Amino acid sequence: MDIEPFMLRAVLTALFLGPLCGFIGVFVTARRMSFFSDTVAHAALAGVALGFWLGLPDPTVPMILFSLVIAGLILWLKERTALLNDTIMALLLSGSVALGMVILSLLKGYRGELDRYLFGDILSVGWSDAALALVVLITVGSVLFWKLNALALLTAHSDLAHVSGVPVRWLNYGFVALLTVTVALSIRLLGIILVTSLVVIPPAAARNLARSLRQQILLSLFLGLIGASGGVILSYPLNLPSGPCITLTLAGLFVLSLLGGRLQRGHQNAS
Amino acid sequence: MDIAFRSQKPAAVEVQDLHVRLGGNPVLRGVNLRIEAGRMVALIGPNGSGKTTLLRCLLGLQKPDSGSVRLLQEGPPGPGILKRMGYVPQRLQLDPSFMLTVREFLAIRRPLTASWFWRPSRQIDALLHEAVGEMDVTRLLDRPVAGLSGGQLQRVLICSSLLNEPELLLLDEPTAGVDTPGEADFYELIAEVHRRRGLTVVLVSRPFHGVSTCQSSLRPQWSHLLRRRSRRSHERGVPQTGLRHSFHPVPAPAPSFPRQPWTLNPSCCVRS
Repeated sequence: MDIEPFMLRAVLTALFLGPLCGFIGVFVTARRMSFFSDTVAHAALAGVALGFWLGLPDPTVPMILFSLVIAGLILWLKERTALLNDTIMALLLSGSVALGMVILSLLKGYRGELDRYLFGDILSVGWSDAALALVVLITVGSVLFWKLNALALLTAHSDLAHVSGVPVRWLNYGFVALLTVTVALSIRLLGIILVTSLVVIPPAAARNLARSLRQQILLSLFLGLIGASGGVILSYPLNLPSGPCITLTLAGLFVLSLLGGRLQRGHQNAS
Repeated sequence: MDIAFRSQKPAAVEVQDLHVRLGGNPVLRGVNLRIEAGRMVALIGPNGSGKTTLLRCLLGLQKPDSGSVRLLQEGPPGPGILKRMGYVPQRLQLDPSFMLTVREFLAIRRPLTASWFWRPSRQIDALLHEAVGEMDVTRLLDRPVAGLSGGQLQRVLICSSLLNEPELLLLDEPTAGVDTPGEADFYELIAEVHRRRGLTVVLVSRPFHGVSTCQSSLRPQWSHLLRRRSRRSHERGVPQTGLRHSFHPVPAPAPSFPRQPWTLNPSCCVRS
C-alpha cells in the first residue's frame, strides 16, 4: 500500500509530538497549568493572523513567537500585579483571540484558513513542520529528562526545591517556554481549540493506571503516541479534521484507563 | 532584647539586627538571635508574629531589608551552606494527579539515587535503606506522596531532609497537619533524631500547639525552648503580634503554662 506523502508527514509529526505532549503534560496537570496551555494555544491565533498579514507563506514562526510573548506576559503580570492567575489568563486568552479575529477579518481571503488552525488539518503539515517537531522532541524531551528531579521537586514544593539548590525562577521560565513551543507546534495537528487535550488527557489517563511517577510518565508518553498517531490515521478515511479525531481517540483511551484502573484495584482488593 | 546562650560552643545560627518589611508592614524589627550548635530550639509565637518570616530568612527565601544572617559559622544562606542544611516544610503543594511515590520522592533528593528513573526499585531501596529505617517509613515506600496522612508525610519529609546528612535542620510548624496523639509521637521522633545525630534543630510553632506540652517529657532537649513575648505581653501573660523584642529563653518546663487537656504524659510517649 502506498502512503500519501502528506499522510506520512502528518503521522510522523504525530509520532514526534504525541509522546512529548504526554511527557510535559504530566507536569502541566500536576502544576495546575492546563489553563495556561490553553491560553498560549489561543494566543497562537493572533500569531497566525500576524503571519498572514506579514505575507508569510507559513505562519509557524510568528505563531510560536506570539505564544511565547503571551506566555512571558502572563509571567510578568503574575509577578507585577495582584491579579489572580485565572484572571490574567482569561484576559490574555480573549484578548489575543479578538486580536487574531480582527486581523483575519481585515485580510481578504483568509477566512477559509481559520478552520484548519482552529481544528487542525493534516494537509497543512509540511516537511518543515515534521522536521521542527523532531527537533523539538529531541531538545525539549532531553531537557525534561535532564531536569526531571528538579521539576518533580518544584512540583512538590517550590521552597523545598529552592532550598535543595534548584534554580526555581529559571526552571519555571524554562518550563513555560518549553511548554509554549510544544503546544504552539502541536496546533498544526490538533487546532487551537483542542490542543490542550493532548497535554492533559494522556497524563490523566496514565494516572488511572500508574502506581508511580515513572509509570505515569512512561504510560503518558505511550498514550500520547497512540492517541496522536491513531487520531491522524483515523482522520484520513473519515475525512474529518484531525484535531477532533485525536481528541476523541484520547477520550476513548481515557475511558479504557478508567476501566483498567477499576480492574487493577479490584485485583488488588481480591488478593 | 536579645538572646545569647553564653557558652564556648560555636553558633549554628547567628542573626543580627534583622529587619524585614512585607508589603510595607514591618514584620521583623531588629531581631537578634544566637543558637549554638547542637541545640534543639523552638521558636514559638502566634500567627502573624513573624516566626515563619524569620525561618524564611534563615533559608534564604526572604531577603532581609537590613541586618545579617550567619549560618554554620560561614555566612548567609547560599548554595554551599544550604547543602549542609535540611528543611522540613509544613506540607507539600502536591496535586493528587501527580503519582510521585515516597521512594521516588526520597530518590530525587539524593545525588546517589539521582538516576532513579532507570534504576530498579531494589537498588534504590538499598541506597536509601539507612535513612528509611531510621524514620520508619519502609512500609510507605510504594505509596503516592499526595495520599499520605499528615503524620506520615512529616516522617517522609524529615527522612528526605536527613538524606544529605545536614548539620542544621529547620522545621516549619511541623505538627500543623498532624492529629493530637501523632503530635506527641512526632516531637519524640525529632528529639530522637536530634539525640542520635547531634545536629542543630530549629523549629517554628504556634503556642499551645504541642511544643508546650512536650517540655515535660522532652525536657533535656527542650532546655532552651524559646518563647516570644513583648514586655507588655509578658506582664499580662499574653503573647502579642509583631516580632519586636526578639525571643526570650523560657526555662523548661514553664510553670505558668496552662496545660491543655491533651497534655503529654510520659505514658503517651510510648509507641505501640
